[in-house]
Formats: sequence, C-alpha cells, structure tokens
Amino acid sequence: MGDEGKPQEQTSERPKKSIGRLRGVYLRVRRPNRAYMEALKLHVPYWFVVAWLIAFSSFQIWMNPFGFSDLVQRYTQDISDLLITGPHLYPNTGHEKVSVALIDEDTLHSANMPWPWTYGQHAVALGALRALKPKAVVIDILFVDNRPDDTLPELVEEIRRYQKDRIPIYFEGGIDLPFGENPLRPEIAATDVPILDPSILVYQGVARQYPINGRCYRTKNPENQDCYSLALKLYQDLFGPVKLDTRDGLMEIVWGTNADPTNAKWMHPKDADGNLQSCNTETNFFRRIYLAFFDTSAVISSCPYTGVIPVQSLLSGQDDPDITNLAHDRVIFYGASLQGAQDKSFTPVNGLMANVFVHAMAMDNLISFHGDPETNTFSMNGKAMNGNLVQIVATIPVILILSWFHMRTVRRKRRKGPEPERDLSATFEYFFEKFIEKVWHYLAFGLALGVGLLLTRAAGLSVANWVEVVFVSAELAALLLVDAPDAFWGYLHHIAGGEPELERGQ
Amino acid sequence: MRIFLAFTFAGAVLASPALAATTDSCSATGDLVISARTPQVDLYDAAGGKRVQSMDAAQFPSCAPITGRAPNMMLQVTVGGKKVWVPPYMVKYRFAGKLPAVCRNLAMGSNQQKVGATRGLGEGCPKTGGK
Repeated sequence: MGDEGKPQEQTSERPKKSIGRLRGVYLRVRRPNRAYMEALKLHVPYWFVVAWLIAFSSFQIWMNPFGFSDLVQRYTQDISDLLITGPHLYPNTGHEKVSVALIDEDTLHSANMPWPWTYGQHAVALGALRALKPKAVVIDILFVDNRPDDTLPELVEEIRRYQKDRIPIYFEGGIDLPFGENPLRPEIAATDVPILDPSILVYQGVARQYPINGRCYRTKNPENQDCYSLALKLYQDLFGPVKLDTRDGLMEIVWGTNADPTNAKWMHPKDADGNLQSCNTETNFFRRIYLAFFDTSAVISSCPYTGVIPVQSLLSGQDDPDITNLAHDRVIFYGASLQGAQDKSFTPVNGLMANVFVHAMAMDNLISFHGDPETNTFSMNGKAMNGNLVQIVATIPVILILSWFHMRTVRRKRRKGPEPERDLSATFEYFFEKFIEKVWHYLAFGLALGVGLLLTRAAGLSVANWVEVVFVSAELAALLLVDAPDAFWGYLHHIAGGEPELERGQ
Repeated sequence: MRIFLAFTFAGAVLASPALAATTDSCSATGDLVISARTPQVDLYDAAGGKRVQSMDAAQFPSCAPITGRAPNMMLQVTVGGKKVWVPPYMVKYRFAGKLPAVCRNLAMGSNQQKVGATRGLGEGCPKTGGK
C-alpha cells in the first residue's frame, strides 16, 4: 500500500536509470516523451537542418517519387516555353534557316490528289522545291512499302537531279519494321541518299525532348544507335560540328511561340465563336502571365512558329516572293499533316501538330544555339552526369539560406522570458518591421535561387531543370514551417537518451 | 496537326498571275505557256500520269496555248503535235483569269482532342508508303 497514495507516474518523467540502455531506447522509440522532444527540438543544430534538407531534396530529385520530379520538370518546361523562353528569350537565328513544306488536307482536296501520292507526284513537288534552291531537303515521309508504282523512276530521277544540283536531300528510314522490310525502298536507297532516323520522343504524349542518338542505317546492324538523330545529323552535315560534351541524355526542345509572319498571311485561327483571328497576336509579358494563370490554353497558338510552305503553292508554280523567301537557302522539311496519319504529337505551345514540326523545331534549336542545345545532362571529367546532381547542388544555396532563417526562428523560441517592453506601436511592429524582415528574407531567397539558376545554366541544363529547384525549395520551406527537421532532431536526440533542462512544471 | 482540322478552301480570291505575265513577248491572248523556266521540262501523258519525256528548255515551244488545266495544277499544252502535261513550276505561264488563293482556317481547342482512329489508307489496294 506504500505506493497507493502516490500519483500515477507521468509520461513526462525522466526514464528510470535502472532500465537497461537498450530497453530504454526501445521504450523511447515506442512511447517517446513529447515534452522532451519539444524541448530537445529547440536545440537542433544548424548542420542538422542543412543535412536533413539536403537529404530530403536529394530523395525528391533522385528517386522521383510518383514521377513527381519528372512531371514537374516537364510541366515547368512547358510553362517556361509558353511564358518566358518562347516569347521573350528564344533567338530567331534558326527561324530564318528552317521551313516546312506541308501537304495538308486542303492540298489533297484542291489538287484532287488522294493520299497516298504516287512517287511521281512527290517527284513533281520536290522538283518545284528544288527550283527554289533550298539549302537541303528532308523527306519526312516513309517510303517503305514495295507497292507497285510505275512512277518510281521519276522520284529516283528527281533525287539524281538534286544530287546533280548539289542540294542535299535526305530520306527517313523505317523503324521497328515487324517483317524485316527495308527501312527505305531499295530503288531509292540505291541512289545513296542519306537515311536518317525519324524517331522523336514524347513524354506523356507531349513532344518536349529530342533524341541525340539515332539508328545507323547502311550498316550491318541498323539497330546500332551510335549515329546522330535526324536533326543533329543534319546540323553536323550542313552547319558544322555539334558541340555536345556527351551524347548521353536528351535535347530539351525550346519551342518558339511567335508565329512566322508568312503563316499569318494565309492561316487564320478561329476562336470559340467561330470568328477568324490573326496569327499575329502579340501578347505582352504580363498579359501572357495573366492569361496563363486562368487558362493555359488561352496562350497556346494554333499557328506554327516555323514558316510553312503550302505544297499546294509549290505545285501551282506561282512566283510568290514569300514562298521563295521561305525556301531559298533554307533547310526544308517536306512532310504531311493528315487526319488519321498517326504522325502528330502535342507540343507545349501549339497543341497537336504534325511531327514534321518537331524535327523542324529541333533543327531550329540547334541552329539558334549554335550546335550546343539545351540538354538534360552535363559532362564531368568526360563522363555524362545526370542533371539531377546539378539540381541538388543548385538547391544547396537555397537550403543554406532557408536553414539560416529557420535557425533565427528557433533561437528566438529558445530564448526565455517575456518580450521586452517596446514603445513602438503595433502598426510599426507588424507592418514595418515584419515587412522589412520579410523583404530581406525574400531577397536572400531570390539570391539563392539566382545562384541555383546560374549553376544550372553553367552546366548547360535547361531552365526547366532549374524550375524544379524552385518547386523543391518551396517544399523545403513548407517543411521548415512545420519544424520537420527540428522534430526529427528532437525525436532522434530523445531516443539517443538526450535529456533537456526542462522548465519547472513541464 | 490540330491547326488543320477545319480546312476551308477559299476559292478564287486574290490571285496572282503567273511569272512574267506582264513582260512576256507573246501576242496571243488567253492562257499561255510562255516558255520553259527550268533547264529541262518534263512532259507527262496525263495530269497525274507518267513522265514520257524530258525536253531541253531550248526545244520547248514558246507561246503555246494552254489547252487544259488539272486540279493538281498541271498544264496541258501541245508539243510536237501531241498533247502533253507539264508541271507549272517548269514553265513560265500566263493565265487570263486568276489563280485561287491558298488559305487555311485553323481550328482552335484541339489541344484536348485527337483523332482516335487509323486512317484507312488505300483500302483494298496494295499497302502504300506514307508516314
């Protein structure tokens, strides 16, 4: 009965020394003392906060939980293309060098030439293109099937004419052909035209990246992917060496948003009410942000960035200065945009478009960035490194700053005693002092993000890779707001047997 | 491409006469092939037919009346007593009338829509190329 009158043992009392060390650890793991943890977490050291945040951001970036990291990167790439890079930063160097000669539904209808065309009909269109003296022509139509067509020699003859005029002409080879077909019809391949890999990449249906490597046709093993992909091979042949430190990884396509002015002459998008609009819709920075905030699709244009030569106009042989300008001394992608042809992809800035525009935009990027396009990898000591490492490094300045802010708050909480009497009014305290303090915080935070941006760009990565750093930074700030690292420290320290100096009554 | 979902062919508007229409030396009126434009001119047996001959520009007749125009823009002329078809880009020509303008009305809002069917290309015929 000696103990009956005593109050029941409080959970906040210190663990008895008689309990073995291991048992004590086990008990504290199972039933941690909240008061101890609350007290211990106020003593979290700066290095622990930094290390904890680095570990969290590394996990977030490396492990890509739920695909979040990838999705954020790709989505921010879209936003960047739509609002910042596309309309304001992307140079138009490549725009002046690349065009698309397009066969569309209206061409088929008006010319009364149902799809697929005969080889001879393609030969006529290519002949019209050749007459305009392009820099090079890429045929973005697969000629795989051995269909009987007695106009095939006309296409072969047209290829010979290109070769005679020293205008490079490229064909694309089939991929994943199930019955071992030739990647290009043998009669065409016999002309020794270069055959390129037409592969493109789509991430969840959207074309944002472009392969660096492609299949090597005309070798014993066409599946060997040691050659450059279509756009890179073209650039190498026509403009000079591609300046990539590594061939691992992918090109990040920057999509231009300002529609070619020639397109605006003959293309008119319809609004929701069916009214015709102009392709020349110059939208300033703030309006784009405003529109995108409420409805991203409002800033997506139907008019392509790349200048389009309607094949219908080529066939007519009209002396049109716009057509001549779009074709002369340019790299022409000759392709089709037809319903149900399974050759379209969504793009971040134009919605659904024929894949010929993806190749054209990749080529545009290579020219605009002088053979050094944005990629998702970088080179370190000659080895390709995933961009994740740079992203983690780019978060470190942010982590250091955020942790420092956080430690100031922790120290303030740790200080005992009432706040000193102040003569200042509440207005001054909350609207001026806090404002100054917060401004200083935001400036420091912005500076840290800027350092991250510089690091990302110095490594040759795209802005999209950096924007993920911004997202991760916001996550880290939220974690600090709920004292997550402190709580973890308090728990660990408590489990390890740490005993804080508790205030009376605690 | 989504932008070409709703094509409308605007016919007979603003047309431009063919090359050298105002400076040619042909006195005849009507639709004319004035002369060859490229070093060689391909002659076809039909508007969508086979090439039957490639003729040097010097041999190609000048001021030849155009006796037919095909929807695919091929022009019918008489060469050596035979009616043949020539691609317009290979010749300088003149139309009495006007060529139709090339215009496109682009559909909006197809960012959420895509054709969910494969086009039946050449059903019942030998399989063809075309990507």
